[in-house]
Amino acid sequence: MTTAQPAILPDHVLGAVLALAQKRLQEKTGKSRLAFRSHDFQLQEIFNGLRKNDKYPILNAFVFSDSGPEPYSPALNESVSRLQLSGLIDRENPDYEVVFVRPAANRFFDEVLKNRFDPSETAQLNEVASKFLEQVSTV
Amino acid sequence: MDASIAQPALAERVNQFVEWLFDGYKPIVPKGPKVFNDALLGNLLFAKQEVAVIDTPVMQRLRRIKQTGLVYYVFPSATHSRFEHSLGVATIAERCFNAILDRSRVEGMQLNVDSDRTKGDLAHLRMAALLHDVGHGLCSHASEQIYQQLSDLRDFKKEPAYVKNNPGEILSYLIVSSKRFRQWFDEYVVRGCRADLDLDVIAKLILGKHDDPDRWFLANIISSAYDADKLDYIARDSYYCGLALTVDVPRFMSMISTEKYNGFRVLVLRNYVPLEQILFSKMTLTGSVYQHQKVKCLDSMLRSMVGHIIENPKQAVVPIRSGFVTFADPVQYLYTTDDEFFWQPNGFGDEYIRGMLDRFRNRDLFVRCLEISRRTVRKEDWNEKGRQPLIDLNEQPNLLEEAEEEIHKRLPPAQRSNCGKHDIRLSIPGVPNIKTENALIQTGKGSKVQRIEEYFPLEQWTDAYAHNKWRSYVYAPREIAPAVRDAAISVLADRTGLEFNVDISNQACHL
Repeated sequence: MTTAQPAILPDHVLGAVLALAQKRLQEKTGKSRLAFRSHDFQLQEIFNGLRKNDKYPILNAFVFSDSGPEPYSPALNESVSRLQLSGLIDRENPDYEVVFVRPAANRFFDEVLKNRFDPSETAQLNEVASKFLEQVSTV
Repeated sequence: MDASIAQPALAERVNQFVEWLFDGYKPIVPKGPKVFNDALLGNLLFAKQEVAVIDTPVMQRLRRIKQTGLVYYVFPSATHSRFEHSLGVATIAERCFNAILDRSRVEGMQLNVDSDRTKGDLAHLRMAALLHDVGHGLCSHASEQIYQQLSDLRDFKKEPAYVKNNPGEILSYLIVSSKRFRQWFDEYVVRGCRADLDLDVIAKLILGKHDDPDRWFLANIISSAYDADKLDYIARDSYYCGLALTVDVPRFMSMISTEKYNGFRVLVLRNYVPLEQILFSKMTLTGSVYQHQKVKCLDSMLRSMVGHIIENPKQAVVPIRSGFVTFADPVQYLYTTDDEFFWQPNGFGDEYIRGMLDRFRNRDLFVRCLEISRRTVRKEDWNEKGRQPLIDLNEQPNLLEEAEEEIHKRLPPAQRSNCGKHDIRLSIPGVPNIKTENALIQTGKGSKVQRIEEYFPLEQWTDAYAHNKWRSYVYAPREIAPAVRDAAISVLADRTGLEFNVDISNQACHL
């Protein structure tokens, strides 16, 4: 039996952006934990803004709708839920406003995801992670 | 239907399906309106042109598709069909429409909509609601989970125009906008019933869209966080499953209105409590019905049969009127219904398919061999390693099948010779789908429109609930369950790094 090649899924792109953002935060501030205030709709706004930049085709994993009052990516919405389900990110009770990246996300990136992206994709992800950090309110 | 023949485009294949449905059908113009008696909603009045649509094979086939797929093997009363649900959604859509008009009048706002039942906005809305589920196939969502991964339907989902729609909605849209359906509609609805209806508007409403931004709320009634579909199926599914869940529909109706938002007139709620009820009821249904371990087992057994048919198109074809299907593409799941697939007097297919049909007939189901959950996975693995490799399997059917085949390979020879690779099923649930994109609150006329998350964390509650209720299982025939458990533990350790507390899993699985 030949082993099927794992595809790069939207979850992997989001997981990589968050893990790299955490690394970037640690380099800049020494903080070992990335936590930021964000509802899902705010993540939608951030990623919709970032994917408009042609420099980041990696973000095409998140297709946004082109009709209605605002663009919306079900893939992004589901990825947030799945990363939470998988234990890579979490939200703080009781308001659930604060999203934080769990150590498992870094491990998953280092041990599994890193090798799935080619150098150009990794460069894009690093840039997206930096821009993402600029746009969220860390706590 | 032969999968080996080059496939025409999805829209053309859907048109061929509609041609096939209409073959032998003798349409007539109904004499007048009709009243249907519904166990849940009471007497429902349908206009002449709606009766014409209800009488078509496009709608009548929904009588043979259960609303909740194979759930009736667990909840015996849940034999209600997509047909009665569709009648219910049309009725609830009208109630939403009227409630919005009422409130707009009371609040002194002029809404420029037409409430005529034979033309105009209400007639279009009801027709879209009636037709919204015609794209459902064998066992409703159970087969949708299988065919959504197939070929061109996945490509549709990459288009911004369709990205928000589930596969069933896309197929409904393609059926309603097909050449054959349009031909019939023009002759018997527009001319025969003198109903001035635009099929393009109806088809777009099914996708949750409207060309006129001032009428966007009509699309919200068909598809949003609190659409007529949800209001009907939550009440209907819980009623027929015998679960005492509450959705206070009259209160909901008294709380809906519309407001301009980013240039679109959208549906808003004056109070978020009815939405809370919808959410809690949907989550309860998800945990206790849709993702019930035995229901997931039944869905897995259907996947076994479909997988076997796809791999053995010569021996295991599914007979249909004047032909056969092999489930090689999404449209083929429309040709057969639950009744025709499971209850043909002499069965069909090869020895494996006949054996599986016997299992369904006698309710001789696969059993749980291993539970994968926070209870059964070693705590450090669960918290520290993450479950992403496992969840990824659900998104990549080829890898899931590979894992199942590997479990089969690792069985001791005696057990392996007693079962096929499709007898081992790894079932990993996804996350419950709650559309929050359109969930907007406006507490009074003229006040700021706010997102639901600013009132209560709807998505996060859903996620937290899913997180705690989430369980995956390995299923197999009872006689080989212990051997499958051992092989699965070994394969999952290699592929996901998870280690199990076997005693707790055995307790959960009654092994």
